[in-house]
Amino acid sequence: MRIAVLSGKGGTGKTFISVNLAYVIKNAAYLDCDVEEPNGDLYFKGDKIVKQVDVDIPVIDHDACTLCGKCADFCRFNALAIIIDKVRVFSSLCHSCGGCKLVCPVSAITEVKKSIGTIKETEFEGHRVIGGEMNIKEETGVKIIDEIIEISKDILEDVVIDCPPGNGCSVMGSIKNADYCLLVAEPTIFGLHNLKMVYELTQVFEKKVGIVINKASQHKIINDFAESENIEVLLEVPFDKELGLINSNGEIAAKDMKYKHFFEKLADKLLVRKV
Amino acid sequence: MIIVIPTKTSGEKSFISENFGRANYFYVYDTQKQIGETYINEHLDNPHGVGIKTAEFVLKHKADIIISPRIGEKSMELLRGNVKVFIPNDSIVKENIKDFLDGNLKELI
Ligand code: SF4
Ligand code: SF4
Repeated sequence: MRIAVLSGKGGTGKTFISVNLAYVIKNAAYLDCDVEEPNGDLYFKGDKIVKQVDVDIPVIDHDACTLCGKCADFCRFNALAIIIDKVRVFSSLCHSCGGCKLVCPVSAITEVKKSIGTIKETEFEGHRVIGGEMNIKEETGVKIIDEIIEISKDILEDVVIDCPPGNGCSVMGSIKNADYCLLVAEPTIFGLHNLKMVYELTQVFEKKVGIVINKASQHKIINDFAESENIEVLLEVPFDKELGLINSNGEIAAKDMKYKHFFEKLADKLLVRKV
Repeated sequence: MIIVIPTKTSGEKSFISENFGRANYFYVYDTQKQIGETYINEHLDNPHGVGIKTAEFVLKHKADIIISPRIGEKSMELLRGNVKVFIPNDSIVKENIKDFLDGNLKELI
């Protein structure tokens, strides 16, 4: 089973839930697709194999270029623009589709390789851990996420995918081959708002969903929403100072008997094998 | 002199858009010919790179002046040295052009 863990905003405990869930499922792989702010490897410490992720970026031969503007009009990602008397390439926006090279009537466009980030792999107590990290200044990590998802296609074990926050393209890439989406939310008005945002996205992709309430309190705002939409609340992790501390120290809470049962219960409900 | 103004609707009676790159339209006014034309912002719904495309649009029209309450960092970076930005009054396009030509608008820095 491939379980994607999502939240509308960062800092809701998405990584906390993903890491611990992956830990209690026997041999489950953990994919850190939050390539803008990867945190998963703070928990799964170990030697890593690092691989560069390259993309092809156009280069313009300014002597040959006639400034016809065809390339800039063609690029639907707005990565090319005629700025005064030169075509400029905004490489952080380029999706390497190769189209501009084809439309240029005077063959003034060639391509060079550019590194946009890395993919790191490690093994942790039987868990395969794959994560990506985007170079600063890049605008999109979609390519790195696609690459992580591609690598993970061969994994036969269960997979937990720690998705980027929000509901943008990179989230869509992360959940595209997930069987189940786990939505992590905090019981506040903002939490509900963010939850609704990701929930809508999962519905567009017709995914099965369940909710985990983190820092659960007497506010039942998330439970009420879940009930009205007929979504199952799989787990409520109460607010607990010690738990917060363990987590912020980069420790896996499920190693502790006191907290293990939360995640085992969650894994049980997700119908997967436990350690 | 060419003036570019981001607008909510078309024509000289339109109000000014609060946003530059995300404006619905651009009003391009040629002070010599005293002719204004409204262009649809074709990049309005693009998720990324709107600032770049807006700057390209401004430069393509060889504009000297932008009248806009705000301008994105990306656009500004590309336009700096070529275009000056002025803060509009609360009124319509026509009034803003008049005020600008009379020297009554302040530069945005
Ligand atoms: S390769 Fe594609 S995305 Fe990149 S600049 Fe060319 S047309 Fe745009
Ligand atoms: S299509 Fe080719 S010639 Fe035309 S502007 Fe682009 S690079 Fe220059």
